[in-house]
Amino acid sequence: MAQRTALPLRDRIGSITSGTLAWIYAALLVIPFYYFIVSSFKTNEEIFESPLAWPTTFDLSNFTTAIQQADLGLAVANSALTTVAALVLTLLLALPASFALARARGRAGKIVESVFALGFLIPSFAALFPTFLLAAALGLFHTRTFVVFLLPATALPLSIVILTSFMRTIPRELEEAASMDGASSLQVLRQVYLPICVPGIATVLLLNFLSFWNAYLYPLILIGPDTAQRTIQVALPTLKVDAGTDYGVLMAGTLFTLLPVYLVYTVLQRQMQRALLSGAVKG
Amino acid sequence: MTALLDAGRPETTGDGTTAAPRTRRRGTIRDRFPGLALPALIWYAVFMIGPVVAMFVIAFLSWPGMLTTPTPAGLDNFARVFADETFWTATANSAIQIVVGLPIMIGLAFLLAFYVVQKPRGHRVLRYLLFIPALISAPATAMVFYAMLNPDGLVNGFLRPLGLEGNEWLADPTTALGAIIAVELWSGIGYSAVLIASRLDGVESELVQAARLDGAGDWRLAWRMYWPIAQDFIGVVAMLQFLSMLFNSAQTVLLLTQGGPENATTTLAYLIYRKAFVETDLGYSQAVGVVLFVIGLLGMWAIRRTLRATH
Repeated sequence: MAQRTALPLRDRIGSITSGTLAWIYAALLVIPFYYFIVSSFKTNEEIFESPLAWPTTFDLSNFTTAIQQADLGLAVANSALTTVAALVLTLLLALPASFALARARGRAGKIVESVFALGFLIPSFAALFPTFLLAAALGLFHTRTFVVFLLPATALPLSIVILTSFMRTIPRELEEAASMDGASSLQVLRQVYLPICVPGIATVLLLNFLSFWNAYLYPLILIGPDTAQRTIQVALPTLKVDAGTDYGVLMAGTLFTLLPVYLVYTVLQRQMQRALLSGAVKG
Repeated sequence: MTALLDAGRPETTGDGTTAAPRTRRRGTIRDRFPGLALPALIWYAVFMIGPVVAMFVIAFLSWPGMLTTPTPAGLDNFARVFADETFWTATANSAIQIVVGLPIMIGLAFLLAFYVVQKPRGHRVLRYLLFIPALISAPATAMVFYAMLNPDGLVNGFLRPLGLEGNEWLADPTTALGAIIAVELWSGIGYSAVLIASRLDGVESELVQAARLDGAGDWRLAWRMYWPIAQDFIGVVAMLQFLSMLFNSAQTVLLLTQGGPENATTTLAYLIYRKAFVETDLGYSQAVGVVLFVIGLLGMWAIRRTLRATH
């Protein structure tokens, strides 16, 4: 702050312009939020009449209607189950692989690593239909199981790149000392590498939590509309009806969907921001 | 992110430096360890690479519906695609989306990032807010915009008191694509800005101080100093957002307009979806997939050429 005030006047004017831009965008981020949060306590008439007015009552009936109408409780449970299972599977696959790649010195290791590093080139969205065929071929069509199998595959490239670069920072001497004591490579991984890699693992978990929880097209196509299995992201848009959407209910449902993510973001803000900076896979 | 950066950079860790004193152990480590990467590699091959390979095969099959048996079609699908007016409409829509949306997104994100790294009053709040769109799923974003853009929604609610006529933004062919691009910009600018800011944070303050003493204003400082330093990294962010617009925007289209009105928002990615899952014209769908894959590669090459490091 101190050095800012010492700047010449015209520089401060320059900052004011770029600052205006920044705060306009900030307003554009905040206003939709405010709008949909207050709307979730209103009726359609109130929303249309005075969109930005503070709600007259904090009546939770929109929430109960949304939860009942779209079976959101069950959908949250399905999302949680899918997300947690997929996260566990991601770590089970990515940790040994990263460990191997961080330690490999041969050409094979480099080739495998570049296969994963080029993973962002895979247009998985364009290949949605073959993925759907794969689900059918495995007899897992319209099941959460297939999505639990598929999501880790989408997350592997980034997870492996992040974890490998983490594991590279661990001095080889540590591992060799353990090997001398007769530890197997899995023991070395578990006892030497895992404790040091905790921040990297946290990054990978947070990043993938976001992308798994927020996944939409895969669950939509592969799990389908069955209320017993569908995830929260698939359930939410069913509150939008072509003839006469109840916007209050829709916004209440949206708020309900975002709560878990915001809870995690508020508690783990710093870690979450770091995770988002080291990865860039968005829903 | 790191994946992209590493991909463009020659491998620096490896044999050479540390290997010499450990020749005896080296053999066993090398032989033993890559095996642990196999499960992940197989998993990745089955669930990710497999479907993409299948896409290239199906593009050359005639497969008019799920229950029919596919037959070889040679280049017929591509001939049909290129003769189809809808395909060219979709190509034009995707092109508008990228050519208009991407430069605006990256330009504004850069200016925002530049502002944030100057640590002005409230920069912490700003950084917190910029992350918001990255946290929200496509359906949640789409539902909020659906509520705001409907004829009785917030946008028209703002315009009416100003004496302006409201609009059915998503149902009007002249504004629907613009609305989709606006949603993309809303969610893309903040995240791009924090990514770029993370790079600009590393710019040495002595350099900036020196330029300030020479009388460089903010505008010159931003474009003449920060931009060239961060240019290659901004290129990486641009590539990511390019791919996201090209492919993932189909979710927004599906949720908000289903390609309508009158194909006004049918992009190439949405066309793939519609042909596969609505019209079950599978060969056609996957032929467009191949075209989009090629466009993706060409676009990334173009971005890399435009924004490569200036040394």
